[in-house]
Amino acid sequence: MKRLASGRSEVALHELRAGPGPTLLALHALGGAAQDFSALAAHWPGRVLALDLPGHGASAWMRGGSYTPELHAASADDALFEAGDAYLAGFGLGAYVALLLAGTRAPHVPAALLLPGRGLEGCGPAPQPDQALQIPSGEALRLLDAAAAQPRPGFDPLLRACETDARPPDYARPFADAARRLLFAEDGGARPPWWQAARAAASAESAPGDPARALQRLAAAAS
Amino acid sequence: MDFSYPGAVAPARQRFVESLGLRLHLVEWGDPDGEPLLLTHGFYDHARSFDAFAPLLATRYRVLALDSRGHGDSDWPDAYSWHADVLDVVNVLRELGRPAHLVGHSRGGGLATDAALLYPQGVRRLVNMDGFGPPPAGWEGKGMRRYEGTVPELLAAFFDWRRTNVSRRSFRPSPSLDELAARRREQNPRLSQEWLRYFAAQGAREIEGGFVWKVDPYAARGFGPWRAEWIAPAWRGLTMPVLALWGDQPDAWGLPDPWRSERLAFIPVLETAEVAGAGHFVHIEKPADTAALVLDFLGRA
Repeated sequence: MKRLASGRSEVALHELRAGPGPTLLALHALGGAAQDFSALAAHWPGRVLALDLPGHGASAWMRGGSYTPELHAASADDALFEAGDAYLAGFGLGAYVALLLAGTRAPHVPAALLLPGRGLEGCGPAPQPDQALQIPSGEALRLLDAAAAQPRPGFDPLLRACETDARPPDYARPFADAARRLLFAEDGGARPPWWQAARAAASAESAPGDPARALQRLAAAAS
Repeated sequence: MDFSYPGAVAPARQRFVESLGLRLHLVEWGDPDGEPLLLTHGFYDHARSFDAFAPLLATRYRVLALDSRGHGDSDWPDAYSWHADVLDVVNVLRELGRPAHLVGHSRGGGLATDAALLYPQGVRRLVNMDGFGPPPAGWEGKGMRRYEGTVPELLAAFFDWRRTNVSRRSFRPSPSLDELAARRREQNPRLSQEWLRYFAAQGAREIEGGFVWKVDPYAARGFGPWRAEWIAPAWRGLTMPVLALWGDQPDAWGLPDPWRSERLAFIPVLETAEVAGAGHFVHIEKPADTAALVLDFLGRA
């Protein structure tokens, strides 16, 4: 495990699989950790790096409690900068981060795989009526108490803001348009509007719903 | 250096409150056992921007002013987001231990309004002084940079900026406080050089080569799918009486109609008042008139 400087904080980057061949940068779901990819890493032909997103696993909590998908993507960008070029695979919030990064750093991301999981939807295309931007009105005190009581490192309760943030489809779409190649894991389950919008881009194609088979599809794209 | 300004009174007390791992700085005027009234300042301002306004309210209240994270003498966070700034206000209100009146200016008015939504049991009455959010196309005042590009290009620029600038401790220094004040006056031409020099003396620090604002160069910088039409609908949930104030003079940093009226229409129990002869900084340009409006409104609690 390597500790990477990321903004004013630092994140943990784990090498789950060594070796030559294309690099995969793995991005876990909200509430997950790099180790969620331990078994899946065997399905990738090259090196597998897995990031603990800020406030998760062995990564530091964001001092001051600011968490947004874009700040997670900034940390993933620091990991990409370390890795050189990399394929991306992400679950849930990690899938959204993978989309942002694949569109932002297209020259360094040949393809990205988006898989469902926690933090995939946000609160939908716009804030909910009972919501002062990212925090639902009834939850603020509970979140503050939980954040004060939670041992660190581990899961920062303030990360809740990444499952109640707005994800407009017309914001997501330009990232899909700028990306080189996007694989969307499809298992018949419902997907949020931002996913549908990105899925309609020219760079998008379908992948199996089973994560191991989907990763093999991404590996085929890499060979 | 000793600076003074007519009517400005330094706070009687100062202390720190913990919020989300940050030490936030508070200054206080008035009876320490009095009814609490919390002031929240605008973007790139600081708690001492209330030095000429708070004493007028302190005749009746224990007045506290918060340095927002990244501003004044409060800690700098790892990163910024609107909701975390709002949670700071909630934490400070909770720490007071009894419901308070909440009065915010500009960005601080928006923070106060959202804090009142999240913690209504801690807010007796709310005053928002021209803090109704930016117009849909963003601010066009001097010093606001326009960024061109697609959304992914802009996010890439944010990543690049963050990687190289996040450890910067300050902007380019001004050789003197007078020059720092003069530079600020280009953005806020309605404020007098005399006031801005006082304001700079309280809000700047000296480094090699001159004076810089204490504010974090990274302050409030972030990235996300923000939409102007998301600002006000949640205000339907405000349960306490609200007074919205603004100046009757045009000012690049005030929200004009129709947007102001459209947004305020969401507030269930609303009073409005226009401060004659003032622009965006009603409490600095017309402190006595503004304080009279605020005291009248809060006195009816």
